[in-house]
Amino acid sequence: MENDFIVGKKILLVEDEESLGVGLVYNLTEEGYSVEWVKDGKQALDKFTSVNYDMIVLDLMLPYHDGFEIAEKVREKNPQMPILILTARTAAEDKVRGLELGADDYITKPFNLQELLLRIRGMIKRKLWYKTSTELMPVFKFGKNEIDFENLKGKCSSKRFSLTQREAMVIKYLIENKGKVVSRKDLLENVWHISSDIETRTVDIFISRLRKYFEPDPDDPVYIRSIRSAGYLFIDEMND
Amino acid sequence: MKKRHSLAFLILAFVFAQIAWLGLLGLWIYWYVSNNIIIQQVGDKLSPQIQIDNPNVFIFIGGIILIVLIAVAVFFIFRNLTVQMKLNSLYDNFIANVTHELKSPLSAIQLYTETMFTKTVQHDKQKEFLGMMLKDVNRLKKLINSILEISRLEKKRIAHDFRIYEVDSVFRSILNDSIEQFRLNENFVQYECNGSGKCLLDKDAIQIVFDNLIDNTIKYSVNQPEIFLKISCNKKHYFVEYSDKGIGIAAREYKKIFHKFYRVSNKNTASVKGTGLGLYWVREILKFHKGKVTVFSEGSNKGSCFRIELPVYQEPIKIFSKAFLLHLIGIKQNTDNSDGE
Repeated sequence: MENDFIVGKKILLVEDEESLGVGLVYNLTEEGYSVEWVKDGKQALDKFTSVNYDMIVLDLMLPYHDGFEIAEKVREKNPQMPILILTARTAAEDKVRGLELGADDYITKPFNLQELLLRIRGMIKRKLWYKTSTELMPVFKFGKNEIDFENLKGKCSSKRFSLTQREAMVIKYLIENKGKVVSRKDLLENVWHISSDIETRTVDIFISRLRKYFEPDPDDPVYIRSIRSAGYLFIDEMND
Repeated sequence: MKKRHSLAFLILAFVFAQIAWLGLLGLWIYWYVSNNIIIQQVGDKLSPQIQIDNPNVFIFIGGIILIVLIAVAVFFIFRNLTVQMKLNSLYDNFIANVTHELKSPLSAIQLYTETMFTKTVQHDKQKEFLGMMLKDVNRLKKLINSILEISRLEKKRIAHDFRIYEVDSVFRSILNDSIEQFRLNENFVQYECNGSGKCLLDKDAIQIVFDNLIDNTIKYSVNQPEIFLKISCNKKHYFVEYSDKGIGIAAREYKKIFHKFYRVSNKNTASVKGTGLGLYWVREILKFHKGKVTVFSEGSNKGSCFRIELPVYQEPIKIFSKAFLLHLIGIKQNTDNSDGE
């Protein structure tokens, strides 16, 4: 019953390694997902444009188009599509690049099966939760900024931009906890739905992205402030 | 970014070093000439009887030579540093590729182990998963072996098993072994041998050469891999032409592909697997056989042709018996006629 919401959810798996692909398809199908597996970048883009998926599990080192390119193209067309990067590349710059291009999560190989399944489950769950929760607060304004949570659009003065679902969720969580210090752990547990102490760098990358969107000077933030050794604090003096 | 900056810094340091030594040379000449004039003028005034017959030209010339030597040394240091930086960059690529090649099979093994540990998997699926795990274990074994073998080859710590073979039969046998190993479709493999002769080689090492070439053909073929092996001989050498119908190699890459850790970056490649060691290994093995390998391609998607040149085995002069000579140089004679003489 608990897993009802994932039954039949469509996942596009992009993985060029035969043995990993077979194992992942088996495990995801066992969980109740409907999985389509492609082995290169070309097929991934073709499938993405022709089928409506609920999320994408993406390798980085792929033939024809690499995972970064795919993440970028997917994000351009569908800002709400949850993307999980599953790769052997562990370098911090790869992770930063992947997340900056719009991936929502980044897992390195070799990975723990249970953790992977939980993260995928969390991403699907959040997509559904996000859909319902935005109905309560479709638009939020602070300073010269405006966020349209329903359409994942942002506005800063006259500059308009798109937000990824994860970016929107992070800022939404901070807004909901306006005036309170939110720790990185809180964000990981409530936005990523993982309890890990080693993934705090991911949170920082998202915060830095949000500051670039909404802060007049990202190096001296006024809305999303850092509280040393504690976390982040969202302040909106105009609306308080 | 860091690497680009350090290269710019290196070039800047080199330019400054050159300006500094040219300046020093100028100052040196100026100092010498002006001092010489002063000494001559003052000397003439103070004591016209003193003859300065031999101005110390040795110091002047010696100084210039030393400065030029410093400049040459700086140039060589700069050149070596740039080569070192290129090597470092290739090494970084190698580490990234090896990481990928190690982690992917390891992930699959972990995935299947966890799956079978945590779930009730049907018997036929279990068998399929165990087969996959075995395949990945072999892949890991092959990768680790190749790295260790190359290292041994470089340090000349490999005991090669050189034997005398008939050219035709040994290459036919090597090709057949590869067909079996890679499960190639025999209809797409052609073999032709013109001429006969004997060769002295380590069959296992030459098998590695062909395994690497075939592995590349499979990786870089869009359609069904097609292979054509043609052998010809003259008095001193025999030539093995290995051609395929893969995606081809750009002319600018002909030499680079044999460099250690080098990998061609091609967006049209159907596979991204590899370490950049395969063709380097091929070249090193052939070098050990006193042979060489070159490559050419008629263009994109028109295939590649690797041309291997190896020396023909020359019969020793029959003053002593052949067996005695072979014993003397430590070469075992293969008695199996199907494999060699």
